[in-house]
Amino acid sequence: MAKRKGPAGSEYSNPNLIPMIDIMFLLLLFFMLGADMGQRELEEVVLPKASSMKEDKENKEKDKNRLTINVYHRYEVKCQAYAKNQVCRDDAHWRTGIKGKDYSEPEKLGGYLKKEADATRGLDPKNPQVSELKVMIRADQSAPYGLAQRAMNTCAKAGIYKVEVGAARPADDKKKHG
Amino acid sequence: MGAGGNIGEASENPVEINVTAMVDVIFCLCIFFMCSFHFKQLEGKIDTWLPKDRGVFQGQPEKVILEEIRVFMKWDAAGNRTIRKVGNRGEVDTDEALMNIIIQMTNDYKKAGKSEFPVLIDATPDVPWQEVIHVMDMCKKEKLERIEFAAPFEMMNKGASKN
Repeated sequence: MAKRKGPAGSEYSNPNLIPMIDIMFLLLLFFMLGADMGQRELEEVVLPKASSMKEDKENKEKDKNRLTINVYHRYEVKCQAYAKNQVCRDDAHWRTGIKGKDYSEPEKLGGYLKKEADATRGLDPKNPQVSELKVMIRADQSAPYGLAQRAMNTCAKAGIYKVEVGAARPADDKKKHG
Repeated sequence: MGAGGNIGEASENPVEINVTAMVDVIFCLCIFFMCSFHFKQLEGKIDTWLPKDRGVFQGQPEKVILEEIRVFMKWDAAGNRTIRKVGNRGEVDTDEALMNIIIQMTNDYKKAGKSEFPVLIDATPDVPWQEVIHVMDMCKKEKLERIEFAAPFEMMNKGASKN
């Protein structure tokens, strides 16, 4: 700490800011690298808990042959039921989205899925109408089943049979698995 | 900013940079990224392959000798709970009772020499998704890998009218 005499004889202290700036730069770098600024594949969803779920390794590898359908509560809507972790049955409060775009209308979702599925259709000669595209349905635990059912039916209509549903490991299981 | 007034200080520190503005900016950036940061939840998946060869209500169903394992789920708004039934049996209150019935039915399939016996979940659209996943989870724990979902009534009618 450098000390300097002031005009009236009092002492000023100049704090050394360099270590603080260093630390703050490191913090800044950490948060900048950790922040997800890209196109959001995964929306903020409170997934239902299931201890039998398998760890999703494909997600880390960013498999191109896979789509994620998010069924999530609209962020801008303030809903008392949802805030209390209860089931929100108001269809207008929910959004079905893929890569940040809204596909709440079944026709729109169906059209998009069909287009995506066409690229991997016909690989199985016995079932040329089916697609090898994988679809992950990430529905919020407070969502009514009807929304996930709608997504599944749209997949079936588009010839997609590889459907997975997103689930989170319960808290007590996390301790067991480490 | 300014040169030091004391003798010898200028040579020790010839240029003083006012870092206050920079610190302010970094602070703001830090706060922004800290607020927007969220830790990823450990996520997983449950495979639920849809029927490959049938699509939605297409083709002829197989001759059913044994009773199909169909779990009915219905939301009871008055009681604020989900009513669960297996086949034409009565309401099941506990998870254990539900799984006991399902396991008993799977044993019947195994005795009949059948290796594939899907568990069909037939839930009304207002049932909480968490409840459906819970039933799936219990089935998966019992090594029942084939879980199917019943198509909604209006879809089945469309399929039937085409056939």
